[in-house]
Amino acid sequence: MSALGFAAGPLDGLRERATWPTARRLALRALFWIGMYAAALAIFGAFVALRHVDPFDLYKSMWTSTLTGSYGPGQVLDRAAPFILAGLAVAVPARAGLVNIGGEGQIVIGATAAGGVALAMGSSGGTVENLVVMGLAAAIAGALWAGLAGVLRLKGKVDEAISTLLLNYVGADVLSYFVYGPWKDPSGNGQPVAKPLTEHQTLPTSGLYTSHIGIYVALVLAAVVGLVLWRTKWGFSLRCVGGNREAARRAGLGVGLLMLSAMLVGGALAGVGGMLQFTALEGQLRPGLGATFGYTAFLASWLARHQPAKVVLAALLLAIIAVAGDSLQLGANLPGATVNVLTAVVLLVVLSYRRTARKAA
Amino acid sequence: MLETILVGAVAGGTSILYAALGETISERAGAINVGTEGTMLVGALAAAMVDIETGDPWLGALAGIVAGAALAAVFSVVTILRRGNQLATGLATLFLALGLTSLYGATYVGKDLGGFDDHKIPLLGSIPAVGKILFDHDVLCYLSYLAVPAVWWLLFRSRWGLLIRTAGERPETLLAYGVSPARVRATAVAIGGALAGLGGAQLSLALAQSWSEDMTAGRGFIAVALVIFGGWRPLRVMGGAYLFGAAITLGSVLQVHGVQVNQFFLDALPYLLTIVVLVVLVRRQRQYAPEALGQPL
Repeated sequence: MSALGFAAGPLDGLRERATWPTARRLALRALFWIGMYAAALAIFGAFVALRHVDPFDLYKSMWTSTLTGSYGPGQVLDRAAPFILAGLAVAVPARAGLVNIGGEGQIVIGATAAGGVALAMGSSGGTVENLVVMGLAAAIAGALWAGLAGVLRLKGKVDEAISTLLLNYVGADVLSYFVYGPWKDPSGNGQPVAKPLTEHQTLPTSGLYTSHIGIYVALVLAAVVGLVLWRTKWGFSLRCVGGNREAARRAGLGVGLLMLSAMLVGGALAGVGGMLQFTALEGQLRPGLGATFGYTAFLASWLARHQPAKVVLAALLLAIIAVAGDSLQLGANLPGATVNVLTAVVLLVVLSYRRTARKAA
Repeated sequence: MLETILVGAVAGGTSILYAALGETISERAGAINVGTEGTMLVGALAAAMVDIETGDPWLGALAGIVAGAALAAVFSVVTILRRGNQLATGLATLFLALGLTSLYGATYVGKDLGGFDDHKIPLLGSIPAVGKILFDHDVLCYLSYLAVPAVWWLLFRSRWGLLIRTAGERPETLLAYGVSPARVRATAVAIGGALAGLGGAQLSLALAQSWSEDMTAGRGFIAVALVIFGGWRPLRVMGGAYLFGAAITLGSVLQVHGVQVNQFFLDALPYLLTIVVLVVLVRRQRQYAPEALGQPL
């Protein structure tokens, strides 16, 4: 729980592994969820129909633009990478009972740090060197940004849900400060952008459709996070703290340090997510880079009940919706942000209808 | 210069004040709605749309109230009826608002609307300095002066306020008393949404006098922080809202006067200020926080 008592979510894992559900139950549950997602699609369809857009055409173009086109799948994978990492940035602190709504700021700060390092390195060094150093810088910056909220929580008893939320705006201002000020590209036609990344600072493609290797980085890190949380002492201690802080303290665990470390790890993951988005797709620091990614990832982690493997799936789902949004503008002449409605309806349905965690006695 | 900043503080702080008053009511009933940003946004658009279509700003303001309450009702259904998590649901309703306002607002962007102009109040408005700062604004701003004591009275002097505060502290007591805590909390959330919607309406009808996408620009999140900052008390929340209003205005005023201050530092100032205040006033925060805040019923 956060300082003000917000539950970090339904936590399982400490006493999980109930009896396996029967095939019949599984089928019923699958049917139920298919119905729910269909309902979400129907609601969104009704909203667009009000704007005189045929929902069936819309869904067809969303489908083709994301899953079957020559660029769609690659774009989805590229978008999923930062979503996965920022989603893990919510999941890890949540395991320790902390609420991190700061993915937004941690992404931006990560990208900013990577951008600063890129400028400093200029054209020196090879691709691997450049990207590794940029990735490290992003991880450290993201970790510090989230760690700030962690320290405020431990030393100042400031609720981390609120402080991470507030730091999102500060993070955006830090990025703006650099791109409007010291890092502004003089040959950028007056636009507030930093100098473009060099060839050696751009993320290589993965060979999987048109995507970049960021998706591999995200998948590997998701697997590592899953293993660490469930197969190491640190992960176990973390989940103990999340399960019952007082019991963990009496068992002799360093609760404060564990909580802080969860925030640091989370921030580092989100920071790397920002760096991936920046180096794979953006190529230039600009204000608004990665906007709403952090919030989307927060929802992805909730959709996944903070389980790393499911975070990957939820991030992919939300990435499909997000990329479909980009095509709406061209296809149906609707603003791209329209798909936020679909994201929201899916989320609201899931938040409403999953089996609620039993109230702690 | 100070006067200009203070005038701007009141003008810019009013929308935040409404939203924060609304959030105070819903948090007193135990519901933290971080979707307030979205509630303001739908309120702002609904108000602008109705004003543009009918030419009547009062109908517009009413539409803002209704739209805000409606979005808050979605939050209520998920968090109270279905026991969904409040933070995640709040963010989900924010996405709903972002999507809906961009879907239906696209055709209204930048359109002229009548809205509410500033009207100086006779007599009061002629008081030196104070008159200019407090009594030369739009009518929704004047209404907010009345809303603050009204909310205070409602929460701390009315029977119904007692029910609300009980829903936020010890919901089970309400059950024993024979009142449904769910109903009380849902009503409080709806009123909170209505006020946030009115705040949004003030933004589009009076302050900007037009609709633009994402025009709340974080004011709703500030309102949520402000409630904690103000210790869940309407009067302190009012002070905080004007402080934020001042911080928002400060940048442009200083620039006009040729003072070189970094714009982005000023932009970040309100958020940093809130964090500092939360650190300093943390004891009060603990003391005043409704005990069942964020807890499902």
